[in-house]
Amino acid sequence: MARISINKVWKYYGTSPAVRELNLECDDGSFVSILGPSGCGKSSTMRMIAGLEHISAGDILFDGQRINDLPPKDRDVAMVFENYALYPHKSVFDNIANPLRLRGFAADKIKERVTSATKLLEIDHLLNRRPSELSGGQKQRVAIGRAIVREPKLFLFDEPIAHLDAKLRAHMRGEIKHLQRSLGTTMIYVTHDQLEALSMADMIAVMHDGELQQWGTPSEIFNRPVNAWVAGFVGEPAMNFLSAELRSEGGNTVLTHPNFNIPLLPQQVALVNGSAKREVRMGVRPDALSISTTRPDGPVIEGRIYVTELLGGDMLVDVQLADARIRVKTSTDFTGVADDACYMTVNRDKWHLFDIEDGHAYF
Amino acid sequence: MASRDVVQYKSPLVVAFKIFSVIFLTVYLIWTLLPIFVMFVSSFKDLLEAFNIPEVGDWAGVTVFFDFTPTLKHYHSLFYDNNFGEYMANSLIAAGGSAVIAVTFGSMAAYSLSRVEFRGKGDLFFWIISTRMAPVVAVMVPLYAIFRSFDLIGTLPGLILAYTTFNLPFAIWILKGFFDNVPYSIEEAQMVDGATRFQAFMSILPLVAPGIAAFIVLCILFAWNDFLFAAIIGSGGAKTLPVATRELVQPQNIQWGAIMAAGVVTTLPMMLLGLVIRKYLVTGMTMGAVKE
Ligand SMILES: Nc1ncnc2c1ncn2[C@@H]1O[C@H](COP(=O)(O)OP(=O)(O)OP(=O)(O)O)[C@@H](O)[C@H]1O
Ligand SMILES: [Mg+2]
Repeated sequence: MARISINKVWKYYGTSPAVRELNLECDDGSFVSILGPSGCGKSSTMRMIAGLEHISAGDILFDGQRINDLPPKDRDVAMVFENYALYPHKSVFDNIANPLRLRGFAADKIKERVTSATKLLEIDHLLNRRPSELSGGQKQRVAIGRAIVREPKLFLFDEPIAHLDAKLRAHMRGEIKHLQRSLGTTMIYVTHDQLEALSMADMIAVMHDGELQQWGTPSEIFNRPVNAWVAGFVGEPAMNFLSAELRSEGGNTVLTHPNFNIPLLPQQVALVNGSAKREVRMGVRPDALSISTTRPDGPVIEGRIYVTELLGGDMLVDVQLADARIRVKTSTDFTGVADDACYMTVNRDKWHLFDIEDGHAYF
Repeated sequence: MASRDVVQYKSPLVVAFKIFSVIFLTVYLIWTLLPIFVMFVSSFKDLLEAFNIPEVGDWAGVTVFFDFTPTLKHYHSLFYDNNFGEYMANSLIAAGGSAVIAVTFGSMAAYSLSRVEFRGKGDLFFWIISTRMAPVVAVMVPLYAIFRSFDLIGTLPGLILAYTTFNLPFAIWILKGFFDNVPYSIEEAQMVDGATRFQAFMSILPLVAPGIAAFIVLCILFAWNDFLFAAIIGSGGAKTLPVATRELVQPQNIQWGAIMAAGVVTTLPMMLLGLVIRKYLVTGMTMGAVKE
């Protein structure tokens, strides 16, 4: 168990930076997720923490102690590698037992720990197989097993369940979270799947192009994204973005678009600093819109239904506006069909405005 | 994971090719095995019987090859009169010693060349293999001079050193290729699990076992069959089997029987080695370790 501090860390490969001035504080015993698209520097960060990659600049501290120059074996971390990295010449049992053997555990203790880890991961029937005789998902679980048999200071999981099927993935999400809670070990969990990060982590670091975009709890990340990039990356189905214009109209600050004119809430007016007429980007999640085929009272967005998709318990409606198409999540009793005119109301507590230039969020 | 069973389809071409390959292999086997067979059989024959050869074209006369009373007298003369026991020990020590030394240093050097980036690495690697580009005879005279000033002529350590000089670059060259094929992440996982760099290196040796086995065979074969080094650097104190066999040919008396027996004694250990090491020569152990 340890508190991990990452201070102004940079990673260069040659001259191109893969991680730019990263700052993170992971509390003792917390579950931290690093979330970002492919190539954003997630694995590079993990490998620097594990000691497998030189830290180009900055410091990494475990419990206040600088570990930049410690070799991997002295950092006391357990890692699940993105590519499994199992030992091909060893059986599943020996793979999982390896960290215990290297640390000189007694044989009966090893057997006990390996057995309980493999039971948990449902691979106890595979103990005598070699990695080449396992499926991708089974290999991944062996790799997780190898990390959890030991009680390290820190778990580093690099996309550990990306190759499992949806059902097993959901199951493993629960198991990993439960495991981390019961051991109380600090966990850094890398994923490109926002659902995994939102559902498991205490704190999420969203990265893009090697840069930390936002550091916050899952609800902060989801409800108060700091910029348009984070807002668009997190959430499924993705947030709708529309170009609109801010204007003053009779004392109100109003967001106008060919399809609507909606005034901002008073507290939001204060946040957009100034009511000067200008372009902005409006973002609204599909579930912050409600749709109807009859015109309700108050400000509405008018559009035409493009297509409807039934997704089990919900319905997604694609609506054609003058310059864009947006998606709305509604219930399955919505009766509109393609080409019908429709009217949407925005839950104004849940919409967002972003700067057109640098994309930062006003609210 | 794909299984190792190869799917085969029978077409006329495949069948014709099969028949052809059986014929070809039969001819090839006779061509390569016959001399060894003659050597083997002759070593158990009395000289008179050994020179009893049928006329060319007399196929029925082939039976005279098998018509003899086996005798061990050539082997007896080899080991009791000619001291071949000692020469065989010399051969074994020289070949084995140089193989062990070359494989130890070679695997470490190959590992470093495979894993560590440093300036001038390409040049260093080329320099190492370029030492094998000159024929041995070309460097024999300077080598002899150097060895003599260190008093290594005619000694086993001298011979081992000479073989190692030539086998080490070869070891580095072969083993680097094998290390290159082992994913680095396996060692990374070992190091995170708590291994030192050296333990991580040791842990991947099983994965390069085919390379090490192949190299040991080649290295021992080179030393075992070598005549030039053995005759010049090992001359006198460290006589090996090929040199000793050569000495059975004397101007007034060629001891054919003993030469045949010496041939058998020289060949058999290498055949046994081949059998023992065969299973390590199969590659493909790293398959499935890492997501492709
Ligand atoms: N060894 C390397 N040499 C040079 N560039 C590298 C190296 N490893 C990674 N990079 C580059 O650094 C950037 C970040 O890579 P990294 O592996 O950290 O991404 P990632 O976020 O883990 O992506 P993914 O989700 O695909 O695993 C990428 O642009 C990649 O091309
Ligand atoms: Mg990665």
